Amino acid sequence: MNDQPHYRFPPASAYRLNRCLFALKSDDAFRARFVKDAPAAMAELELDAEDAAAVLRGDRDALLARGAHPYLVFMADLRLRMEREPVSFEFF
Amino acid sequence: MLVGAFACAHTPQLLARPGTEDRDLVLRVHAAFARVKRRLEALRADAIAIVAGDHVEAFFLDAVPALAVYVGRECAGTFGRYRYRFPIHEPLARAVVEQGVERGFDLFYTQHAPLDYAFYVPLHFTMPEPAVPIVPLHVNVYLPPQPTPRRCYEWGRALGEILRSRPERVVLMASGGMSHFPGTDRYASPEFEYDRRLLESLKAGHGRELAAITGEELDKMGNIELRTWATLLGAVGDARADLYCYEPSWHHGNAVVEWPV
Repeated sequence: MNDQPHYRFPPASAYRLNRCLFALKSDDAFRARFVKDAPAAMAELELDAEDAAAVLRGDRDALLARGAHPYLVFMADLRLRMEREPVSFEFF
Repeated sequence: MLVGAFACAHTPQLLARPGTEDRDLVLRVHAAFARVKRRLEALRADAIAIVAGDHVEAFFLDAVPALAVYVGRECAGTFGRYRYRFPIHEPLARAVVEQGVERGFDLFYTQHAPLDYAFYVPLHFTMPEPAVPIVPLHVNVYLPPQPTPRRCYEWGRALGEILRSRPERVVLMASGGMSHFPGTDRYASPEFEYDRRLLESLKAGHGRELAAITGEELDKMGNIELRTWATLLGAVGDARADLYCYEPSWHHGNAVVEWPV
């Protein structure tokens, strides 16, 4: 299990970052607070400045380099986009 | 007793039907799901034991179970604007966790955890009428190190024995697969040829070959979720797969399969 190119062991150094992405994906109340005031929401979760900057930029490569789980990056981004610009589903 | 075994894709676009998808392809997968639903009704299932991989919804890094059983009264979850709730077949769930532990599998259990969409999507389309209770069975697929396919197969073999010894008519369902790479650079280029070769092997009754595949290979091929299939294959052994559909979309190999039991 030491050579998995797509989904790697999430390093403990990225725990808070992953917790923030998890909350953006799955916690509607947190996501609403984030949309209203992102720095304050990230402060709740004690993100450090570099993590917070990468989340604010939505910089996927930087997030992955910092140990973020790719699935959480993907879904946090999707959920934020859906929150900001509601899309029409059940298109057909 | 075990009366049926199925694998179903849980691709969220099958549910949400955004404009990015090929309408006809989605409708063909829906038709395959409708066949499963009719089969569950014909089999007169009392319960569905569904094996799925939580997408970091119930289980975050605070506690990462390899294999888990939901043993509450009911379970509920949300996915975007979808809200869902299912009764759990409590005696069956309890038998699975107790007898599983008895057989040497150190199962995690929960009486209250959110139910991931990996469980919901197949149930949304295939739940028989009238509806039956479920037993959600989680296999860790997204948070390495995941259980090996061989371990999943062995757990499935024990699970099959437990289900066969029960008075209820149980359908076993594996949710997930086939090739897809959510959140990675490979999202738009799954390994469809790998899927097709594997399906040929399953149609020939070589399910045990999946137990021998390494975790590295599953990751490379976008098939980390096939640990749920490996679990089911442990229960059905060398039965020959009946392929209802294989529909490769731009991001996902969508398969619906039945195995005779």
